[in-house]
Amino acid sequence: MAKFLQDRLLRVWALLVAVTLLSSQIGGAGGVARIGSAALVSVLVLGIAFAKAAMVMFTFMDLARAPLALRVIAAVWLVGALGALLAIYFGF
Amino acid sequence: MAERQNRIPGEPGIWLLIFGEMTVFAALFASFLHARHGDVAGFLAGQAHLSKGIGIANTLLLLTSSLFVAKGVDMAKQGDSTHAPRLFAAGLACAAGFVLLKALEYAELFAQGIAVGSHPFFAYYFGLTALHLGHVLIGSVLLSALTLVTRKPLTKPLHLALAESAGCFWHMVDLLWIVIFALIYLVE
Repeated sequence: MAKFLQDRLLRVWALLVAVTLLSSQIGGAGGVARIGSAALVSVLVLGIAFAKAAMVMFTFMDLARAPLALRVIAAVWLVGALGALLAIYFGF
Repeated sequence: MAERQNRIPGEPGIWLLIFGEMTVFAALFASFLHARHGDVAGFLAGQAHLSKGIGIANTLLLLTSSLFVAKGVDMAKQGDSTHAPRLFAAGLACAAGFVLLKALEYAELFAQGIAVGSHPFFAYYFGLTALHLGHVLIGSVLLSALTLVTRKPLTKPLHLALAESAGCFWHMVDLLWIVIFALIYLVE
């Protein structure tokens, strides 16, 4: 069990590192030239950031095994914050 | 695994603090994007002064520290007083690296004559990153405490819950930086 948990954490960390390197290639200086559209760059980097935040919550914070209420609060924060940020970015 | 289903990680009260803090930060993120919407060119010009390399390195440092801390909490739960303190110390070393790189980035900006009042972008940059840095320092104090107290096996359930709570606070510090990095360094 302990071994499995350790391996699971290591796998999630490796995925987080890989996704960080990917999103840093998408966004930042010259990102528009690489991807074609500033809006697409921003949607991708923010989407990836919140996917990473979800991975941190549900594995490192161990919320995947928490009571439903706590998981719902986490999901509401993730979806609400990402939704609000994208809406503001697009000027709604 | 089923026996651990529906278990609140750490002390229940820590989640009030964590989600409260995360909501305050989310409001600040929204405020940043709202200000940016009115001056996209100015905010992009400000972003060009930042070192993306330092931002990436700091993200990797915090992700790695989170891994060490999560493993440290697992070891502490198993009563492993050999590996747990080492893992928390490794997490603390990553935190120190983060603070060092952040200081380097501030120094580079100051050397370019950039300060909080240079442009609204920098008011947000310094405001958000300094507020986050404060949380890194609080988290570092918690990691130092974990490094010391886990040298002996934690046997009381309350002590284990407090150790797990401190770990979750540290993961929140990591999580907030993930969003700050995307917003300030990567959004176009």
